[in-house]
Amino acid sequence: MAAMNINAEEFRQNVMGDKPLLVDFWAPWCGYCRRIGPAYDQIAGEYSDRLTVAKVNIDEDGQLAKDAGVEVIPTLVLYRDGKVLGSIVAPDSKAAIDRFIRETLEQ
Amino acid sequence: MSGAHVYDMIVVGGGPGGYTAALYAARAGLDTLVLEKLSAGGQMALTEVIDNYPGYEEGIDGFTLGEKMQQQAQRFGAKTGYAQVERADLTASPKVLHTSEGDFYARTVVLATGADPRQLGLENETALTGRGVAYCAACDGMRYKGKTVAVVGGGNSAAEDALLLSRIAEKVILIHRRDTLRATKVYQQPLMNAQNVEFRWNSTVTELLHDGKLTGVKLRDVNTGEETVLPCDGLFISVGRKPASQLAEGQLELDAGGYIAADETTKTSVPGVFAVGDVRTKLLRQVVTAVADGAVAVHMAEEYLAGGV
Repeated sequence: MAAMNINAEEFRQNVMGDKPLLVDFWAPWCGYCRRIGPAYDQIAGEYSDRLTVAKVNIDEDGQLAKDAGVEVIPTLVLYRDGKVLGSIVAPDSKAAIDRFIRETLEQ
Repeated sequence: MSGAHVYDMIVVGGGPGGYTAALYAARAGLDTLVLEKLSAGGQMALTEVIDNYPGYEEGIDGFTLGEKMQQQAQRFGAKTGYAQVERADLTASPKVLHTSEGDFYARTVVLATGADPRQLGLENETALTGRGVAYCAACDGMRYKGKTVAVVGGGNSAAEDALLLSRIAEKVILIHRRDTLRATKVYQQPLMNAQNVEFRWNSTVTELLHDGKLTGVKLRDVNTGEETVLPCDGLFISVGRKPASQLAEGQLELDAGGYIAADETTKTSVPGVFAVGDVRTKLLRQVVTAVADGAVAVHMAEEYLAGGV
């Protein structure tokens, strides 16, 4: 299951949703963003009952990245009830993304 | 482990060496699993254009080439698991790989874990990574469009990074501890010709200056000891690589550089364990030499499984 690309409007709907929202801020020219892709899509499948897993292209929706304080990409940001719970920059493994989600949700 | 599945071969690492081993193994009828922590391609996946892998006359980007190698191996039945291997019992029978997704068992193991960029070892280096400190010009270069960046190093990859950045950044300063580059001529000449590249010879970086993000570096002249401040928005560290051989530590023989000791046969000091690609002691670390290793490792693994040595 692939993570869905969302725009600013869809972001606003999902960030206040029932489930926490995980966003991968990326851009087409970012090589490392592509590397994360396969693992991130797998995360989208494994967590589909607990999380909304999405991607935001910062070239199209740069303001969302600014609002989240994203300075470098890829950055994954986890939201609950409209608030930022935590973020991770350029995770180097699927295991690192799993750990980030687990530890951030436990806080 | 009773009842657990035992693979004929587990390949650790999904770069070119790893997926070539998987391709040959799957085609030889071996039940094969590749364990990859992130995505196919390894270091190659961050290379914008690969122009020296034969068959792609116009060049190909490393990420796409990695995916192609993965799909080719999978076409013949090789499987991929996205898992971080944390520990390995390489002398056990069967061999055991302890991962973030549980334990996996195999009769043979191919270590294709590659190498990572070497750090300078400066204070805050890790914290500032992604905030001005970078290790891959092809990945992060675009962030510094129209800005001033410094590159540390004197080898081919430092020269290549400086050249790539000179097309993006306003100004590039190449910092090297000697007074000449080690890089081969084909890299040096275009760099000397570039209008916006400056050199700081006989200099080392002693401190990262920052206000949360990198603002500059402190340099020391290795001859006079004089210290100067060089303001810059980005610092690309290109001082070589270190092998990802942690799994092998204490179990396999390593060379002085920390690479897994194995000759052209890819056989390590433990029977049934093979090392391919950048993690192995070798003369030339390239995609073409890594894929060659992958094929050889499977040939040797088949001998081992057949009861030979």
